[in-house]
Amino acid sequence: MRRHSLVLVTVDCLRADHVGFQGYTSSVTPFLDSLAKNSIVFSDAVVAGAPTYFSFPAIMASRYPLGLGREVLGIAPDEPTIATALQRSGYVTAAFLAGNPYLSPRFGYDQGFDKFHDFLDSSLSGVSTIPSPLGNSRFSRWNRDLEAITARSRLTAAAYHEFYFRYCQWRSASEDLSLDQLRRYPAADVLIDRACSWLKGLHDQPFFLWIHLMDPHHPYYPPQEALSSIGMSNMSARRARFLNSFWNRGDVGPGRLRRHKAEILSLYDAGVYWVDKQLSRLVDVLHQMQRWDETVFVVTADHGEEFLEHGERYHSPTNLPEQLIHVPLLVHSSEVDGMMISNGLFSLIHLAPTLLGALGIDVPNTFQGTDFWEQVRAGTLSNEPAVAECVDGCNNPLEVNDRIRPRILAVRDLDYKLVIRFSEQKDCLYDLKNDPAECSPVPSEVLTAERIRLLKVAGKHLKTTITGRNLDLVSRSRLRDLRHAIDLKRAGTLSS
Amino acid sequence: MANLRTVQLPEELCVKAESWLKGRFDSMEGLLGFLLEEIIKDEGAKLDQREEEIVQQRLRDLGYI
Repeated sequence: MRRHSLVLVTVDCLRADHVGFQGYTSSVTPFLDSLAKNSIVFSDAVVAGAPTYFSFPAIMASRYPLGLGREVLGIAPDEPTIATALQRSGYVTAAFLAGNPYLSPRFGYDQGFDKFHDFLDSSLSGVSTIPSPLGNSRFSRWNRDLEAITARSRLTAAAYHEFYFRYCQWRSASEDLSLDQLRRYPAADVLIDRACSWLKGLHDQPFFLWIHLMDPHHPYYPPQEALSSIGMSNMSARRARFLNSFWNRGDVGPGRLRRHKAEILSLYDAGVYWVDKQLSRLVDVLHQMQRWDETVFVVTADHGEEFLEHGERYHSPTNLPEQLIHVPLLVHSSEVDGMMISNGLFSLIHLAPTLLGALGIDVPNTFQGTDFWEQVRAGTLSNEPAVAECVDGCNNPLEVNDRIRPRILAVRDLDYKLVIRFSEQKDCLYDLKNDPAECSPVPSEVLTAERIRLLKVAGKHLKTTITGRNLDLVSRSRLRDLRHAIDLKRAGTLSS
Repeated sequence: MANLRTVQLPEELCVKAESWLKGRFDSMEGLLGFLLEEIIKDEGAKLDQREEEIVQQRLRDLGYI
């Protein structure tokens, strides 16, 4: 009998509450909803960090994002991952990733893959929705001066930003660009086409295929066909461009932004729909190749997305609300008959070891997570609290100094969630059963036993980070970064 | 002045490194010093320690320890 193969689909920005099999009422994931009827659905899957650069070390290497220190970004050179473990076990491996720079060979994500295509060389760089104010033309200089002058009072600053936004809209209106031209990342159909071609070239070997899709990522420019399919055929590219530009404004408060939230959500949902439709094609190909029954097929996300629930947009690491850390997780395996809901809490730190467990492959000893495959199959998953972490406000992780800031740490179990913001030395406890939207932290004198219990988990996590650091991997990473910095400097010297 | 230590490296390696990093460092000592400083520096570790202390203090405030 052939060994099981593995397909891991990660969808950037996909929230747990925007897929039908986890309760979303709009029908944007019909294929995955039908697949869920014969799969394990994890009702409470939680990422180990957010956004992408703080989430994937756990997904691929079962390691907390700050486990090698804040200085290390991505996967360390020679760090064992699910891909390297499978490759060593004789699997043929491939990754097709939709142009996310944080998932590139620069950060070690190609390790363990025979074929690695990150689409970063793609010509799909998109079109800026705002003309650059950084130019050096006479107009740009005049504009910068005007901005500085108007910044002296709130009223004139607001007037300037409103006028500038409208000017940009007027400028962009003259360009008649399609949604396909506006998109910044290759759409799911492009990735799935490549993945299917690769699959069709395989012989009899077991394989590991990782696909990372960016369709729900902002700016939200889904294919027109996806919009039509969810009943938004009246949405034009020009309207989508306006909406994305408006949604991106930093000078507008949540009140004005909310006026366009429904339309923005439609664009986002259309991206989710497109992912669903393309995954259906991928599964069809696996059926045609008669490899479906032997394949463990997994769909999850690296983090969710915020739509002003707490005043924020996108997925900046300024907090760790449920909208960011609660993600869908579906595992289809021929061993599962019917839909099985795994109601226990499941951190994605355990995903790689659990999937290796499902395939009968040894788990590398550097993995911080545990193989819970037997417990998942038996429906006896424990409710061990999950930890998620990020560096507070780190929006440019390529800049080391941006990473040397205090953490935000969330400790979550099924009923409660403790969020510690170390920059303010403040912890907030949420009663998720009674306040699932995390609107009001529990007063500090209430539920003390729960707070202490979760604080102890936080303390243990931090202690492990300090004492359990793999110094070999840390030094390898630093040497890689140094090499990269010197290469950049040399390239600059040579080109000048 | 700090105490100094003499290390020995293959001549061929030094020549290659000097050529590769031409103009970036004045000497092999400068290059090695820079590399070692970069590898061992650990600003983030201080934050980890501080954050663990904050959690311990909070547990003390709540009467747990």
